[in-house]
Amino acid sequence: MSERTAPGPSPADPREHVGRRFPGGVFTVEPWRAWLVADTVLGEPGGEVAHPLFVWLAATGAMGVTWDELFAWFGATADDGPMFGEHETTVHRPLRVGATYRVSGEITSVDRKSGRSTGPFDVVGYRLRLHDAADGVHVADCWNSIIFPRRG
Amino acid sequence: MDVEVGAVLPEWRVPSVSAEKMKTMAALLADPNPIHFDVAAVRALGLGDRPVNQGPLNMGYVMNMLAAWSGGHDRLRRFRVRFLRNVFAGDELCASGVVTAVRTENRVRLADCDVVLTGAGGEPVLKGTATVALEPVTEEKP
Repeated sequence: MSERTAPGPSPADPREHVGRRFPGGVFTVEPWRAWLVADTVLGEPGGEVAHPLFVWLAATGAMGVTWDELFAWFGATADDGPMFGEHETTVHRPLRVGATYRVSGEITSVDRKSGRSTGPFDVVGYRLRLHDAADGVHVADCWNSIIFPRRG
Repeated sequence: MDVEVGAVLPEWRVPSVSAEKMKTMAALLADPNPIHFDVAAVRALGLGDRPVNQGPLNMGYVMNMLAAWSGGHDRLRRFRVRFLRNVFAGDELCASGVVTAVRTENRVRLADCDVVLTGAGGEPVLKGTATVALEPVTEEKP
């Protein structure tokens, strides 16, 4: 689904990752995966148009690093309980079942925050772009933020 | 499709969030986060004793509501949401929305909407905005 590239050493200050580019990769909306995703999200499997959730699935599936590797960039692991913050999908052309997309992107922001109940946490923003591998058209954008609890 | 500002979108309901669907989604995403499938890990993090639904699944329910109203998943142009609280296995959810603007861009009629996913008590778990095309359009330059 995507190339896997080992991450470099984590800098002491996570803000040094702003601008760091993802290795990227390619993602094909395989019919079996389209069916299962539609079923899992309680939609209607079948049809030529992929569920728009595939913008996020393709972007993060082919960003070129695993979730564990991305978490490691920021000194965290899955066991720390990283969570979704915000998400934005922009569709310029609907994704199609069977089509292949090229993914590229970068870390856009790192902000340290603190809450009364949550304690300190880091909010990491990243943006990914999808281009149709067949004709090169820019078909979608995917922006997200991840919240990393810093419980000490 | 005749749409006016203030129009309320038909609700889209999830009677009970499925822990089994979370496991399938974790596999599809290659998502190692144990809060989606390992109750012991959920407890260890002080999050209770039910698996936590994946954020993308919560987004997907709202996308389904938009598709059911607008005519299909190919109508979605923009979707921005903030995750406000966790959704757990067994939770009842309701996706809803209201039209905030109707406009034309590049000769395509668009509807901007406020959207929200709420729990059984009416508390929002996900909130944001979306834009959908009011006619089927296959391509638009970014």
